[in-house]
Amino acid sequence: MGNLKPYTGSFQRPELLHLLRRTLFGVNQDDLRHFANLTLAEVLNLLVPKTPPLPTRDEEKPLRAYFSNPDPKLDTMEAYLNDKGEQVFAVEWGKTWVDTAIPSNVITNPANSRHVSLKNWWTGKMIHQEQTAYERMVQFYQTVLSTESSVIGDPNLAYFLQNLFREFAFGNYKALIKKITLDPGMLIYLNGYLNTKAAPDENYGRELQELFTVGKGPGSGYTEDDVKAAARVLTGWKVQRRVTGSNVLPYTYFSAASHDTNPKEFSAFYGNRTIIYDTTITDKGTFESVEERRAFMEMEQLIDMIFSTEEVSRFICRRLWTFFAYYDITPEIEQEVIEPLAEIFRQYNDDPDQLQYVLKAMFGSEYFFKQEHRGCMIKSAIEFHVGIMRMTQFPIPDVNKLDAQYYMWGVIRAYNTNAGQDLNDPPNVAGWPAYYQVPSFYELWVDTASYPVRKSQYEALARNTFSIGRNLVYNGTSSPSFDFKVKYAWFDFAARFDNPGDPNALIAEACELMLGSPLSQDVQTKLKTNYLLGGQANDHYWTDGWDAYKADPNTSIPEGKRVPGVLQELFMYLMSSAEFHLC
Amino acid sequence: MKRRSFLQSVPVTIGGMTVTAHASSPLLAALNASLLDTDRVLVVIQLSGGNDGLNTVIPLDQYSALALPTIRERILIPEDKVLILSGTQDATGLHPAMTGMHELFEAGKMAIIQGVGYEKFNYSHFRATDIMMTGADSTEFLYSGWLGRYLAYEFPNYPVGFPNQDMPDPLGIRVGGNVVLGLQNQSVPMAISISNTNDPLNLTGSLFADPAPQNYLGKELSYIREVQRQTDKFGDSVKGAADKGTNLSQRYPIQNQPGYTLGQQLKIVAKLISGGIKTRIFWLSTGGYDTHSNQVADTDHSTGKHANLLKGLSDCVGAFMDDVKLLGAEDRVMGMVFSEFGRRIVSNASRGTDHGAAQPMFVFGSKVIGGTVMGNNPVIDPQSKVNSNLPMQYDYRSVYATILGDWFCVPEADLEDILLRNYQKLPILDPTNCIPTSVHDRNEKLGDNIVYAYPNPFVDRTRIKFEVFGGHALLQIINNEGSVIRVLHDGELPAGKYDIDCDLVQEPAGIYYVRLQNGPLQQVKNMMKVRG
Repeated sequence: MGNLKPYTGSFQRPELLHLLRRTLFGVNQDDLRHFANLTLAEVLNLLVPKTPPLPTRDEEKPLRAYFSNPDPKLDTMEAYLNDKGEQVFAVEWGKTWVDTAIPSNVITNPANSRHVSLKNWWTGKMIHQEQTAYERMVQFYQTVLSTESSVIGDPNLAYFLQNLFREFAFGNYKALIKKITLDPGMLIYLNGYLNTKAAPDENYGRELQELFTVGKGPGSGYTEDDVKAAARVLTGWKVQRRVTGSNVLPYTYFSAASHDTNPKEFSAFYGNRTIIYDTTITDKGTFESVEERRAFMEMEQLIDMIFSTEEVSRFICRRLWTFFAYYDITPEIEQEVIEPLAEIFRQYNDDPDQLQYVLKAMFGSEYFFKQEHRGCMIKSAIEFHVGIMRMTQFPIPDVNKLDAQYYMWGVIRAYNTNAGQDLNDPPNVAGWPAYYQVPSFYELWVDTASYPVRKSQYEALARNTFSIGRNLVYNGTSSPSFDFKVKYAWFDFAARFDNPGDPNALIAEACELMLGSPLSQDVQTKLKTNYLLGGQANDHYWTDGWDAYKADPNTSIPEGKRVPGVLQELFMYLMSSAEFHLC
Repeated sequence: MKRRSFLQSVPVTIGGMTVTAHASSPLLAALNASLLDTDRVLVVIQLSGGNDGLNTVIPLDQYSALALPTIRERILIPEDKVLILSGTQDATGLHPAMTGMHELFEAGKMAIIQGVGYEKFNYSHFRATDIMMTGADSTEFLYSGWLGRYLAYEFPNYPVGFPNQDMPDPLGIRVGGNVVLGLQNQSVPMAISISNTNDPLNLTGSLFADPAPQNYLGKELSYIREVQRQTDKFGDSVKGAADKGTNLSQRYPIQNQPGYTLGQQLKIVAKLISGGIKTRIFWLSTGGYDTHSNQVADTDHSTGKHANLLKGLSDCVGAFMDDVKLLGAEDRVMGMVFSEFGRRIVSNASRGTDHGAAQPMFVFGSKVIGGTVMGNNPVIDPQSKVNSNLPMQYDYRSVYATILGDWFCVPEADLEDILLRNYQKLPILDPTNCIPTSVHDRNEKLGDNIVYAYPNPFVDRTRIKFEVFGGHALLQIINNEGSVIRVLHDGELPAGKYDIDCDLVQEPAGIYYVRLQNGPLQQVKNMMKVRG
């Protein structure tokens, strides 16, 4: 792959773990088995496939698992009065809301519930992710192309926006930028819909260059006039919001009267290009009007012009490296990684699978596997909590227990929010500061406020019982989720290791899987003696107990009775170590 | 005058004042002296594996039987090497390696209780350890430790509202491992551990944590460890005591000598004590006593594995007592040494001993009635068989009752609440340690009261008043055997104060516990059902 040095060293368990920790949310024993005995190239083919299609079946989309009253007869959520004056639901409980606009005469407005439903669903997508880097890439896009669903307001638009990330997960970045530029959610979020010839609004024109493409790196040179010119190119695009009395979702439309048709001149950074409203085009093609087609062509020329600078490729590769490898981009990293990776990015500028090539090259590079880049990433709140769910394969009910399923996803969504990462609502358009704020970067995820939050939450996941009462399920005791109760069984987790009856192997495997950096043999031995052997010296006490408990969970043999408690203590202990926050 | 009211009458705050900068202030010196004088400390040393008592406290008057090939010839300590204990008419001695503890005994600072045990022994390490930690009978399962219950008795609101101005420090500290059952109360740890690999206080140094490497990983690891220290609710207080404290004894074992690790842990304890920490219990464990084989060296029975263990233990206890004496804290520190059981009378074919029954226990400290051996030497039957065991002379809970009553000054009437039954106290602690007229201060007002029963005591029913902070709440009634007998609530509850009926008509009179769990918070309170 060009000048980017590929990794040619041995590809064993530590290398596989490093790769999986950075491309999945948490790693479990089944992940290790799934990728066992494969070459690096084979693993990369699995981890970074062609972008999969979007979900088509309704039950795969965010569903209505919310209500204003658990009694369906009293529930008014999503309900409105139809022509005959009857109360009907726009979206029935248990059905997807993403294709349905919120009725203008709705009785209990579901907007906030839909936003939460989307966040819970998205959290669920991460928890139940395929064994690919897909969900991690969707997250990556949210850190670069950040919007806030609370500002966008319309939950359907928030759903469209994150769908764009999915559509282009391993796809073409330029094509994504072209789409997002006219996306109705983005037009609302960055005021594009207010950007008119008479009153240009530069918000999107600026962020497009500063945050989404060119950046403010050493090679960036766009000017304030370029911001103004870009804004003028993008005048006239508006959003049709709710249409009274009909189920029409908000959409983007073009207002010719608001578009600036004068030539837009750009600086030397863009080769002194001029973008013109091309009146020689007279065929409206697939557009509503010929004016819209001309404005659309201007938009495409603007994006093509921006992508013709090499700085875009460098900017995005720095962001990728920061998100997947480490934040300290030294002159050496700039020269040995960013430059050659950016070259690959540019080589595939018009390829529909551009990011697939770029990611494979990055994850397969010598620098990615350098010892100094292993275990040095502080997990984000999402990586931390979703990672625990995936690591433990925490039992979550399926769609047949919808209340319980969304409840558990909601627990993790709330945990992430509590610890400083409200999915789909980053602090502002720049996204979470952990990915750009010099000099702290990831360290911003863990501070004296968020650390105790993380601690109380992993402790709750490790030992609390999660349950749902009558008032939290739709239709009360008739709900399949009624009486849902789960407490994590650490024995099941331990049983998934290769050799849990051997205390040395169990400690070694657990430390390897759970901790971002290896523990010395000396510390591992102390953990074994203190926890598994309860201070005793002979390994067989653990083996005897494990075998006894495995054969009969109600065993009366003291060595066996203590097994589940000991395992919970050991694993909670490992989760309490600083190494558990690293990946 | 109680310490707290004394402190409150002094018109300076000690919080935030650096001691070194004001070391010459007589007022502060008095203040520090008062801190050192009034806080009693218990150091528990657990010998994991089951210590061979017969080779530890040696009955010299039984050598004719012990020396038989069918009894202990294979592991017998040469008679002339045994360290004779004064006052025993040369009948009893210590293992030759135990010079440190022998010296303490001779100086009147250590007592030995022979034949400690309970009715029907359990020979599983784990069950026997649980029994020794909880104070249970052999058929009884308790889920709280005897010291956990003691600390909950003294500080009934813990952990809610702790630390606070009056109790800024951990109630108990486990050095070198997790918080043992002995220090738990209904699954609430009443102590903290300072041995985590994250070791936020870095007191154990390389004992349990790998040092952070010099690279990106090390940078982030150190960062997280520092945040952990800053957010540990006792981080500042323990680190403050460690920074303020010091060690003065030169007698601790050095690296590669027996007992090095235990010594390092005891050094931490001495340092924290001299730094003014108010922690009452320190718990340390040391392993390797499960000497099924090669307990003694083939050539010289006074050396070998067990000898090294006892030398390490004894040297460490000697060094620790030397340290606290030099630090001026000797009179407020006592220690207790126990194992989960003793070992069999008859040694096995591999120069070792198998799991046994009664054991000798040790208590040490300047306020201990030292130079005492409680109980008699066991009489060794020359016909002893493989399964023969030493009989029990003292119930192990009598030792606990004595420590709680005559060291921590728990009134007689309350001892039964903690130990669940009435046990005789032993004359191993100076009763003037506790002034009988003093009003016992139970620290009941410390912390926040989030669950309690009212009325209490009650006849058939009472009401449980509790507060939740949102999320899942679990409210249980637990009987004095540690079994949950009622679940009054288990599920989500909005934040707020609640009041719920608790009907114990069917239950016998006695002590019950109400336990509230709400997210990470837990609180357990006792209540008493009385006959109407």
